[in-house]
Amino acid sequence: MAEKVDVAVIGAGPAGLAAALAAREQGAERVTIIERSERLGGLLPQCIHNGFGLLYFGEDLTGPEYERVFIQRARKAKVEARLESMVLDISPKLEMTAASSRHGYMKIKAGAVVLAMGCREKARGALGIPGGRPSGILTAGTCQRYVNMEGFIPGRRFVILGSGDIGMIMARRLTLEGAKVEAVVEIMPWPGGLIRNEVQCLHDFGIPLLLEHTVTFIHGESRIQGVTVCRVDEKRRPVPGTERYMPCDCLLLSAGLIPENELSVKAGVELDPVTGGPLVDEKRQTVVPGIFAGGNVVQVHDLVDWVSWEAEIAGKSAAVFADRDGISFHDAVRVVAGKNVKYVVPQYISGKEDVTLHLRVTRPGLKAALKLGGAARKRYRSVRPSEMIVEKVDAGKLSQAIRDGELRVDCGMGGEA
Amino acid sequence: MAVETVICIGCPLGCRAKVSLDKRGRVAGIRGAQCRQGEKYVLKELKKPVRTLTTTVRTTDREFPLLPVRTSRPVLKTLMEAVMRETAGVEVKPPVKCGQVILRDVSGSGADLVATTDWGGKGKGKESWPS
Repeated sequence: MAEKVDVAVIGAGPAGLAAALAAREQGAERVTIIERSERLGGLLPQCIHNGFGLLYFGEDLTGPEYERVFIQRARKAKVEARLESMVLDISPKLEMTAASSRHGYMKIKAGAVVLAMGCREKARGALGIPGGRPSGILTAGTCQRYVNMEGFIPGRRFVILGSGDIGMIMARRLTLEGAKVEAVVEIMPWPGGLIRNEVQCLHDFGIPLLLEHTVTFIHGESRIQGVTVCRVDEKRRPVPGTERYMPCDCLLLSAGLIPENELSVKAGVELDPVTGGPLVDEKRQTVVPGIFAGGNVVQVHDLVDWVSWEAEIAGKSAAVFADRDGISFHDAVRVVAGKNVKYVVPQYISGKEDVTLHLRVTRPGLKAALKLGGAARKRYRSVRPSEMIVEKVDAGKLSQAIRDGELRVDCGMGGEA
Repeated sequence: MAVETVICIGCPLGCRAKVSLDKRGRVAGIRGAQCRQGEKYVLKELKKPVRTLTTTVRTTDREFPLLPVRTSRPVLKTLMEAVMRETAGVEVKPPVKCGQVILRDVSGSGADLVATTDWGGKGKGKESWPS
């Protein structure tokens, strides 16, 4: 016999905690978080730097501080949690199979499910860097865990490939702890992370940021000895003759994040090939009735505040779904990413309610104009792919912008940044 | 006349402001910051750059070897290394409450070094949960 819960949340990171809380606040009786690791908080405990909560709380918090508030609230709200438990499968009737070293084999039947599994880092295999297979190559997030939680530094001399936020934050962290960071190497002509991180993590410590460069070879047999760094052309191909050798005993990878959706796909959830996350409507329901999603599993956010915010929608909607025995998927209007827009979330809307659009541009630009259905909506002095644009649109304005069941979102540019 | 470049971090624009200084190091003019807030940031950043420093201190527990800490307010950028050195010698025992002062007026910065998580008592800093 399967155990029954109203809302099951998969993952106990910032998204899962926020979704579970929102589901309880919406009136769901039994809300259970199922978490793979032995503790709550997801990645926040290892993110000891500040910059969290500026939007959500109006306060500059560190990762552990941000996590603590949500854990305390969840406990007070009587959210249940199963730790060290891994969901293996979700049936169309929302019956989940989970395995756990603590609780054994479990069958849990949920009134609604929230996917809150977050994302994972691209590893070496995804980048295809030629060379040997020595030790000393790890993702920036793994290194962050070693340095900030486990208490050791995995090298003395680092090269960081990719200028994602975690990579830049680790460049600073490692420098403060006495290691040498030779360079941050970025294949694109612009940095992958936020400006504040470029300034406070790299410039503050004189760490070079090599734009339009990449690592073309990894040297070393048992331990990494160094890397070949090379300039790339506008098509991201290495330029012969620009190679240089950079000695290091550790290579960190910070080359992007991928939403973690193996479980979602198995459950029949359809993914957006651009975001790597589920196609969702404004209630954050996926194409499978009763399965909702929020946070980095849907789209990789730059700020945790938006992760919490998005997961709250998913949690609230899941509670409503469980209570009413279903809410329909709002696919009346397809949201289309137009000129210079990489993606827009949600991908589907009803067109009848206020909606908040999350989008990213494909390249940086100056004097940008966000357009909805061809009409100018908002002007930006500057836009960058690394900084998500969030725009709330009310139902009235929305109805004017929808044409033939489509909401087209463009971003016109006045100049190159 | 010397010219210093400061990148504003106030918004995604990331203005590269050029600040010209006269012979005595006084600000003679700012160019390139596209808003008033940006100009204010640039001046402060040039005169007295401050940062919130976050790091860890050792604990006596092998299961939970590091306690995350922060400065209670931003400290002078030039003091960051001194704070790191002073912090390196610290070891704490449980229990610790979030916000508890670990070092008062660390490195003469005027800020305290405070814990950013609860550790000890129930669950030894690892969040246990009554299920």
